[in-house]
Amino acid sequence: MTAAVADARLCLPATAESVAVARQLVAGICDALDVPERLAGDVKLATTEACTNAVVHAYPDGARSMDVEVFVRQEELIVIVRDHGVGIAPRTGPRGLGLGLPLIAALCSRVAIQEAPGGGTEVVMTFALDGDEADGDDEGTPP
Amino acid sequence: MPGRASLDPAHVNVGQISEDRLDGVAIVALEGEHDLSTAPELRSQLHGALAEGPLVVDLSACTFLDSSILGVLLGGLRRAREEDRGFALVLGTGEPAVRRIFEVTGLTSVFPICDARGAAVEKAREAP
Repeated sequence: MTAAVADARLCLPATAESVAVARQLVAGICDALDVPERLAGDVKLATTEACTNAVVHAYPDGARSMDVEVFVRQEELIVIVRDHGVGIAPRTGPRGLGLGLPLIAALCSRVAIQEAPGGGTEVVMTFALDGDEADGDDEGTPP
Repeated sequence: MPGRASLDPAHVNVGQISEDRLDGVAIVALEGEHDLSTAPELRSQLHGALAEGPLVVDLSACTFLDSSILGVLLGGLRRAREEDRGFALVLGTGEPAVRRIFEVTGLTSVFPICDARGAAVEKAREAP
């Protein structure tokens, strides 16, 4: 997926103020695609949670950047949030409720959390556009 | 154009927080979209209000909230219980996305939730 050309891509400072900008990007795409309101809300929330994770956890030594990419396929909307920070590691410290990733998993059709090319973390969130509600019981990418 | 999203940071909908008081109960009301960027201000407002007495957080004009805000609300609820203060939320009926995050996380059964401000004020005055 990461080698493909995104239909929309933003590179943002990994700051709290950028999260709303990323949310507006996916909201605008959902609007253009006439995505049902509930699914559009799920896309906005999952994207917000992934960006928040990047802002809060990726850069303990100071904010750098995060990328948000959106791919629209026939039956799917795919949102990738990528940081270039410390990568996947056990959480330390008291920040946050730890609800972000479980929420993402509940809202997407599929989610993959993996090491980003060159380091960091990318969260690949896939939403079915065929009218089925996300059931949240899929734990990863299909084979 | 109503409903159109803008990527211009100057036009991104920034949530507003206001405070009011009714029958001795502080009412902190959220309007618009709230996330990590407004969570510190909300935390400060809740702590300040709970130092004075019972608290209602009115989410009926809130159009979006995330787990950062849920965390602040849970912190407020915990603080209210520790300090024997009444605490209630107004979810209203306007924004399905706001109700949905409570349902997905199972927190509808954790918070005292009312549909209207008046009922929430009564609940906050009765509690704990």
